[in-house]
Amino acid sequence: MRVVPFPSAEVRAQESAWLAELEAALSGEAQGPAAESWRELRSDVRALAPPIDPEFQHRLHERLVRPVKQQQPRRRRVRSFVFAGAPAIAAVLIALVVAGPWRGSASRGPVTSAASTSLTQSSGGASSSAGKANRAIPNTTRVPPAVVQPEGGVTVPEARAKAGPEIESSAGANATPEVEAGAAASGVVEIPAPAGNAAAAPGRVQQTSASLTLGTSAAGVQSLADSVSRLVVSDGGFVENSQVQVQQGGSSEATLTLRLPSAKLSAAIAALGRLAPVRAESQSLQDITSEYDAARQRLADANGERSALLLAIAKAPTQEKVEVLRARLAQTGREIVRARAALAAETRRASTAEVGVTVLGDMRASSEGLTLHRGLHDAGRILLGTAVVLLIAAAVLVPLGLLIAALLAGQGALRRRRRERVLEGP
Amino acid sequence: MSRSVPSSEEHETQSAAAAWGGFDEAAFDRLFRGSAGDVHGYAVSMLEDPAAAEDVTALAFERLYRSRSRLDRRRGTPRALLFAIARNAALDELRRRRRQPTDELPLEPSGHGDGSDDLEQAERRATVRGALATLPPREREVVLLKFHGQLSNSELAKALGISESNAGTRLHRALTHLRETSLQSEQQEVA
Repeated sequence: MRVVPFPSAEVRAQESAWLAELEAALSGEAQGPAAESWRELRSDVRALAPPIDPEFQHRLHERLVRPVKQQQPRRRRVRSFVFAGAPAIAAVLIALVVAGPWRGSASRGPVTSAASTSLTQSSGGASSSAGKANRAIPNTTRVPPAVVQPEGGVTVPEARAKAGPEIESSAGANATPEVEAGAAASGVVEIPAPAGNAAAAPGRVQQTSASLTLGTSAAGVQSLADSVSRLVVSDGGFVENSQVQVQQGGSSEATLTLRLPSAKLSAAIAALGRLAPVRAESQSLQDITSEYDAARQRLADANGERSALLLAIAKAPTQEKVEVLRARLAQTGREIVRARAALAAETRRASTAEVGVTVLGDMRASSEGLTLHRGLHDAGRILLGTAVVLLIAAAVLVPLGLLIAALLAGQGALRRRRRERVLEGP
Repeated sequence: MSRSVPSSEEHETQSAAAAWGGFDEAAFDRLFRGSAGDVHGYAVSMLEDPAAAEDVTALAFERLYRSRSRLDRRRGTPRALLFAIARNAALDELRRRRRQPTDELPLEPSGHGDGSDDLEQAERRATVRGALATLPPREREVVLLKFHGQLSNSELAKALGISESNAGTRLHRALTHLRETSLQSEQQEVA
C-alpha cells in the first residue's frame, strides 16, 4: 500500500499560494517572467498533441448535434403531452379526493359504499294473488279487485263483503246488511307501494320498511333526533319508539322507529337524508297479499254465516230453535269483530311503512356536511393517511435505499479503483 | 477560481456552462465547438493513438449528451464533466489494451498553439515532451488534464473524483516535477 504523507499546515499554505499564482498566471491575470513561463509551459504541453482532424470533428459534430436538433420535436411532444395530461390527472385526483371511499356521503343522494339497498319479497306461500282470492271466496261474497294507482301504488277497495244475497228479515223487511269489513269509514283503503320501488307489483298487497343510519356530531344527536321526529309528524306519521343515548365526550346514538304512510316512504327517506349525511340505507318489501286475502276471507265467511243465521232465525219454527240460533249469531258476531280487527291490522301493515332510523354521533360524523370545517377535517384525514402511508413506505424504503446506496458506492469505488489501476506503476 | 485561459472558445464554453440548467442544443453545440479539440488533445496525449483518441472523444460527447437529463449543475460545469467522462473513457481504453502509457510520446510536435516553428521553440517543446514522458502516469495525467482541459482546480478535482486540496497537491507535485525535469534536461543540454 502506498503511503502518502499528509502535508503540514505550512506546506498547505505554501501550496495554496503556489496554486493561486499558477491560476493567476494561466488565466492571464498575472504578468512577469514567472507567469509567462507557466503560460509557455501550458502552450508547449498542448502543442505536443496533434490537432483534431477537421473532417473527424465535422463528422462527429454532424452525428452529435443533428440528433439533438431532430430529437427536439419529440421532447416538445412529450412536454405537450405532459402539459395536456396534467389537468386530466389532476382532475382524476381531485375526483378521487372528493368522491373517495374514505368520505362519507355529503348529503342525501347516492348512498356511499356503506349503504345497501335490499328488496325482499315473500309471497307467504298461500294464495298470493287477488284474483285467486276472489275465486276462493264463495259467490255470495264478492271483493272488488285491487286497482293500480297511477303512481304505482295499489288501491285495494275495502273488503266489502256482501253477506250474500239480500236478506229478508223475518218481519219481511228488506235487510241489506252490508258489512263494512274495512276499518276506514270511506270504504276504500289505499295501500300504496313505495314510490320508485321497482319491486312493487300491481295487484299485490305489500308491506314496506326501511332503515336509515344518519351521521352527525356527538353533540348533534339529540337535535337531529328531534328533527327526525318533527319531519315524520309533518309527513303524517308518528314516532313509535325512540331512544337517545348521549355520552359526554364520547360517541352518542339515537334509535327511532317511525311509522309512515307507505306512499310517503320514499319522500320521507329523501327528506331524512337531507337532515344529515346518510351512512347506510336499506329498504325492504314483503308481500302480504296472502295474509291480507286470508283475513278478508275470514271476515267474508263470518258475515256470510251471520246472514245465514239471520235467515235461519227468521225461519225458525220454534222459540227454542231461535234461542240456539241467536247464541250462534252472537258467537258469529264476535268472530266478525275479530276478523275485522285482523283485516284492519293487515291493511295497516300495507298502508304504513316502518322506518328504523339510527343516528350516530361520533368524530367521524362531525366532519361530514358541506362545510369548511368538514373540508378541513377531510383534508387533515387525507394528510394523516398520506403521512401514515409515507411513514410505512419510508420504514421499508429508507433501509433499502441505504443498502442500495452503499452497494452503489462500493461498486463505484471498486470500478474507479480498477480503472485507475492502469495509472499505477508496473 | 477563475478559468485558466480567457479566449473566444472559453467564452463559448462558459456560455454553455451557463446554460447547464437547461442544456439545450445550442449549449451543447457551443460546448462541442469549444471543447472537441481539447478533449481530443487530452485523449491523444493519454493514449498516444489518434484513432483511439477519436473514439474516446466521440464517446465522451455521446455520454455527456445521453446523461444530460441527469446532470447536476452542482457537480460541476459541462466542460469539467466532459473531461471527467473523457478521462474515464481513456482509462478504460488503457485498461482494455492492458498497457501503460508509453514512456515516450511517439507523436511529433504539431505546432498547435502558437503556430511558431522556430528552432528554440522546437527544442523547448522537445524538452517538455521528454520531461512529461518521465513523469509517473498519475502526475502526467494531472498535467494533461489541467492544460488540455484548461480546468480550474475545483473542476480538476471533480474530473479526478478527489477533493480540491488533494487535486491541488497532486497538481503542485506534478508541475514541480515537470519543471525540475525540464530544467535538468536543459542544463544537461547546455552542459
